[in-house]
Amino acid sequence: MRTISRRKLIKYSSVLLVSFVFLQLGINVNTISAKSTYTYNSKEFHSVINKLDMQGHADHDISTCTIKKVYYDEVLEALNEGTSEKEILQSYVDEYGQAALRAPGTEGSGMIAWIMPVIGFILGGIGVGYGIKKLTNKNASTETLLTNELPETEMKIIEQTFEEERRRHF
Amino acid sequence: MYLIGNIALILGIVISLYSLAANIVGLKRKDRRWLESARGGIMSLAFVTSIAAFLLFYILGTSQFQYQYVAAYTNSQLPLIYKLAAFWAGNAGSLLLWTFLLSIYAAIIVFNKKKQNSMIPYVSIILLLNMLFFYIVMVFNANPFEMTDTIPADGKGLNPMLQNPGMVIHPLTLYMGYVGLAVPFAYAIAALLMKKMDAQWIKLTRRWTLTAWLFLTLGNIIGGWWAYLELGWGGYWAWDPVENASFLPWLTVSAFLHSVMIQERKGMLRTWNLSLIILSYILSLFGTFLVRSGILTSVHAFGDSNLGTYFLVFMAFMMLFAIYVVATRYQLIKKESKPIEAYFSKESSFLLNNFILVAAAFAVFWGTMYPLISETITGTKVNVGAPYFNKVMAPIMLALILLMAICPLIAWQKAVFDRFIKNMLAPLLTAIAFAIILVAIGVKGLYAIIGLTVTVFMFAVHLTEFWRGICARRKATKEGFLKAAIQLTRKNQRRYGGYIVHIGIAIIAVGVISSQAYSQEVMKTVNKGETFKVGHYDLTFKNLAETNKNGNGIVYANLDITYKGKDDGSIKPEKIFYATWPEPSTEVAIKSNWKEDLYVVLSSWESKDKVTFVVKINPFVSWIWAGGIIMLIGTAIALLGGKTTSSLRVKSQQAGGQK
Repeated sequence: MRTISRRKLIKYSSVLLVSFVFLQLGINVNTISAKSTYTYNSKEFHSVINKLDMQGHADHDISTCTIKKVYYDEVLEALNEGTSEKEILQSYVDEYGQAALRAPGTEGSGMIAWIMPVIGFILGGIGVGYGIKKLTNKNASTETLLTNELPETEMKIIEQTFEEERRRHF
Repeated sequence: MYLIGNIALILGIVISLYSLAANIVGLKRKDRRWLESARGGIMSLAFVTSIAAFLLFYILGTSQFQYQYVAAYTNSQLPLIYKLAAFWAGNAGSLLLWTFLLSIYAAIIVFNKKKQNSMIPYVSIILLLNMLFFYIVMVFNANPFEMTDTIPADGKGLNPMLQNPGMVIHPLTLYMGYVGLAVPFAYAIAALLMKKMDAQWIKLTRRWTLTAWLFLTLGNIIGGWWAYLELGWGGYWAWDPVENASFLPWLTVSAFLHSVMIQERKGMLRTWNLSLIILSYILSLFGTFLVRSGILTSVHAFGDSNLGTYFLVFMAFMMLFAIYVVATRYQLIKKESKPIEAYFSKESSFLLNNFILVAAAFAVFWGTMYPLISETITGTKVNVGAPYFNKVMAPIMLALILLMAICPLIAWQKAVFDRFIKNMLAPLLTAIAFAIILVAIGVKGLYAIIGLTVTVFMFAVHLTEFWRGICARRKATKEGFLKAAIQLTRKNQRRYGGYIVHIGIAIIAVGVISSQAYSQEVMKTVNKGETFKVGHYDLTFKNLAETNKNGNGIVYANLDITYKGKDDGSIKPEKIFYATWPEPSTEVAIKSNWKEDLYVVLSSWESKDKVTFVVKINPFVSWIWAGGIIMLIGTAIALLGGKTTSSLRVKSQQAGGQK
């Protein structure tokens, strides 16, 4: 069996190590260049930033609000480090609670915020439906619908109304 | 000055108490002399409050820094107009404004002897209670004439964000709206106290209500315009708690203005109308409470004080009092009224309209209060910001616009379905064609396209209604087109004024939907002479320069603009550094046309040659302001003309017809 001399072993190992280091560097350089594409104008950046309350500074002017600037830089940095939108938002929620976000979440207390207008709308709709039903004179409408023509008295009312309208309009 | 100011406020309490007592005694004894004396008291109150208001203007205008209020909100460098506008910059001044406006409104009500009616003493009592509350608050808690311990050399100055023409008009108009709602509220309670359950109070207050609504509309639109120009974030409505507080009574009064028509015609919905106007007034107090309590974070809040407690107690008192009066008269209110004759009628559609407006008010109220509710009940603080409101309100507003489109096509009493479809066909086809064009030219965003299509449908319906009316008139009178249009509107100011308001809303809707869905934003750091692109615009940074104005340092950038390759002039976004204010403020540069706004903010600079800009292209924002103006024109038309439809006249016609 052929043996490798100690010197050759060191030489090959060194070459392998250097190649590995370069390879790693290359990968890292590639990764960084791929991730560094995010800017303040990126869609992804806006998607994250628009969801953050930024301690009540979300609607401030970026040019005068120092807190908003800090958030902008943090989010951009996190995106460029490869952190996903979900992870960034979660990191703020971990730090500040649900108050970190501009809109309530869809769990627990946040869910109540979303669901109440819907419940209100449904209950109100039922109420109005009931109200209209109660206020509507069924006989009049049924009769009209069945005969599909207006009774004589109603025709007179309408004619008078038309006459009144005509006088008002013209 | 100090003495006169304070005497005026104390006299306010004394005269309010006297006038209240005189009204009550006069009503109890049925003695006209007491009532006349109370009337004189109200006129005196207007005089006394005017003196207090004039004094505050005077000490603000002449920079008398020995007064805390003057020192807190003005300084000697401030232009006179902003010195005077500081009247409503703080708590004490804005309370005096409330009281001043209310005293003038009350004086107008009691002044005109021709319009004297038995309701006036009751109305006076309610308005006097309001004024008494405000005088007490001013004397004991927020006195605009309070002196400083040591006279400062100069005042703190006005917040730079408030140094805008919007500051002069926006708060004033909103207060005129808020205070104006006290009048229909007072009439409603008076009607209940007198057990007069007919629609008289509605007829007497129609113009007051419409005026209050007009000012609320104006206040909200000017507020949006101000935010857009002054706050530098590129938006006009942030769903801030205090913005919401002014939007809430607007929604409920809008519902009221529609539902009163049913009471006028049919004598129906009495309880509902009373509830709506009571709710609107309570919401206006709620808005005032919200600004002063500090319970919710807001850019509009006046900061810490215990004024919130005063307002909470007063609001609770007025609410419980109103509920008590309604409850004790409920059987009377429920008196027989003419029923709706068909499900498919304008009456039903108005009920639906009321439902949607109240649902919108509920959603806004819920969203505004939820952070507080959540923290109180669950201990978890959550924010309910613009993304929440945009999602919740979008379908509600869409439904409202759709209903606005359908409503004019539905006849009173009983609509005929075939006719409805026939009338709807042309506007509907127009809207569908519009949607197809949008898709064909590559416009993206399904929800925005749906929203715009529904808005176009509503717009087309209203134009068609005008067209039909004009054609009918021309056929009957042989008038020219313009004359027929003017005469048609003049003879039916309520209806067509309302239609013009709807058209204004459609135009605003186009602006809101487009600017929300298709806004572009770019943040760019550029070197001197460098050009960057935003949409179809090319912006070239020419130079950064400095100047001085009113003792304030101004840094501005010069930018040349080309649009689609053609020269489009230049703009100068600025940053102002105030001598008396720690934070600089941004002066946005806007190049506006009918289609879009180019909105440029000078963000920061590394050197004179390297500057960062935030540039936005906001489509159709100018439509929002134009729509607002159209709404105001429509409201003015409805306000200046148009008698209320007498339910008695309708009844007599119907009785005549049935003989």
